[in-house]
Amino acid sequence: MPHHLFKCSQCIPEREKHAVIKGPGEDLSHALPLGYLSTIPGSISERGCAYCGAKHVIGTPMKDVIHLSHGPIGCTYDTWQTKRYISDNDNFQLKYTYATDMKEKHIIFGAEKLLKQNILEAFKAFPDMKRMTLYQTCASALIGDDISAIAQEVMDELPDVDIFVCNSPGFAGPSQSGGHHKINIAWINQKVGTVEPKITSDYVINYVGEYNIQGDQEVMHDYFKRMGIQVLSTFTGNGSYDDLRAMHHAHLNVLECARSAEYICNELRQRYGIPRLDIDGFGFEALSASLRKVGLFFGIEDRAQAIIDEETARWKPELDWYKERLKGKKVCLWPGGSKLWHWAHVIHAEFGVDVVSVYTKFGHQGDMEKGIARCEVGALAIDDPNELETLEALEMLRPDIIFTGKRPGEVAKKVRVPYLNAHAYHNGPWKGYEGWVRFARDIYNGIYSPIHKLALLDISKDAIPTDKGFVTRAMLSDADLSDEVRSSTTLRQYTGKYDSLSDLRGKTYPRFERRPAKVA
Amino acid sequence: MDDLTKDRIEELVDYIMKHCLWQFHSRTWDRKDQNVGVLTKTRQLLCKERVELETPADRCYWADAVCLVEAFRHNYPWLEKMDKTETAALINGLHERLDFLTITGSLNLELTDQHY
Repeated sequence: MPHHLFKCSQCIPEREKHAVIKGPGEDLSHALPLGYLSTIPGSISERGCAYCGAKHVIGTPMKDVIHLSHGPIGCTYDTWQTKRYISDNDNFQLKYTYATDMKEKHIIFGAEKLLKQNILEAFKAFPDMKRMTLYQTCASALIGDDISAIAQEVMDELPDVDIFVCNSPGFAGPSQSGGHHKINIAWINQKVGTVEPKITSDYVINYVGEYNIQGDQEVMHDYFKRMGIQVLSTFTGNGSYDDLRAMHHAHLNVLECARSAEYICNELRQRYGIPRLDIDGFGFEALSASLRKVGLFFGIEDRAQAIIDEETARWKPELDWYKERLKGKKVCLWPGGSKLWHWAHVIHAEFGVDVVSVYTKFGHQGDMEKGIARCEVGALAIDDPNELETLEALEMLRPDIIFTGKRPGEVAKKVRVPYLNAHAYHNGPWKGYEGWVRFARDIYNGIYSPIHKLALLDISKDAIPTDKGFVTRAMLSDADLSDEVRSSTTLRQYTGKYDSLSDLRGKTYPRFERRPAKVA
Repeated sequence: MDDLTKDRIEELVDYIMKHCLWQFHSRTWDRKDQNVGVLTKTRQLLCKERVELETPADRCYWADAVCLVEAFRHNYPWLEKMDKTETAALINGLHERLDFLTITGSLNLELTDQHY
């Protein structure tokens, strides 16, 4: 597994240790990219900061909270319509964003008075909201504003409110991952154990590292509820502030994104003895195994199996329709962190695509271990790439599509590579059985969109064919299929609704006979 | 160790790497506990021995082990033809190899980081 130095990075030779190519017969002991280090000067990173990782990734998905940034207004911009962690309370946390709007004069004279005034104004403007998260930023941290003291002053004056303080300014780590760590530890230190919940089931879990991107959390909740499991809290997508204060009462922590939330699971394991079960909510086989493991833990695996059988029968023919048309397509899997390993194997196994590259913006070496172990020989693994490296990789690998964030995604479009938004999705949710088919449909639509045929023509030099009419996706995707596949009566395209969530929100669930958990 | 056993261990390792997550916790001590917890119960299930389920952590390891054993039996039919002694030796070999790849031979510099 030799390291790989991009031509464009020859002037930054340290970059060589951040990329490797998985060679035949090689394993994780041969080479591993460096990770979770400060970006090398001269390399223009695509990373976010530690404040962004704490607030925009983990804090803000909490739905019943005023999320206030103490700093310049620009720090909080990312909230407005650029994230898609929706909620079932009319997206309060997405619709309203708050900043204290620090100016230069506050840098000189301090901004604690400004902060207190903002907190009081926010609670007055939204009298139904009694919970707040408060975020330090670089500007307020550098001048030493004591935001914890101000939060306590307000809580003393307004006894019905509760405020969580997150001290993770932008410079507090090499990337957003530093902020993930800080907010995990701050939450368990400040808030876990401060609310006693109502327990309604014999089987109680925290669902951790799940951010309800386009409804993922609601899809998974549906499965858990169908098994008779009480989801005490979700950390943090569509999660409730007070539910998350009661995490210490769960029997099991079910962990999805270990990159962003393993810290709180590990602390809950050490402090309260609650075990941590890592799962994959993406892909039929992985999701089925995950539901089965949760069922086994509680002794209700029969309920998990019933869901697996029903959902697989409903959606597998649609998954296979897309698989037949996606086989052999080359994919660059370039997400932020955890999806590099959640997806590296399962998209190859269940969509038939070939992962030619994985990268991570802010992952640690542990994420690369998982990702490289799961992808096939020949894949190029890159840590913290810069824009020139991604362009060089696209030129070298010639992928049919990339899954990445919107910034590198727009760059890819300029070199005529279609992209899907790996962070916020295109037409999600992508978790769950139906969600996985929706993902396959998005890939299909991305790769076979006729616009790419037109976009590949350069009108300054290419001859423009005038003897051919417009083509459709089906004409492109079905050209080389066998008659058997093309005329199959079992395979079919996605038949779900445009909105796959609304029905879940009004759903009622069966009451199960009490069967005490087999938890020791 | 003969070549056939080595090949079989590599097949099992490949399955674990592509389908499981329990072997990749973030610190050396944690990976040791995970590998012991899941693979001990895997061996006990395959060898039809008594499996201890005394604590919540035991049940968690056991849930992972049950799914692993089902997958092993489904994907590797040669496993059913092995007797208990051979099976136990195979899983011990698997344990050694997994410890090497995830702990002693791992190039992950964070494994021994004192700050979690």
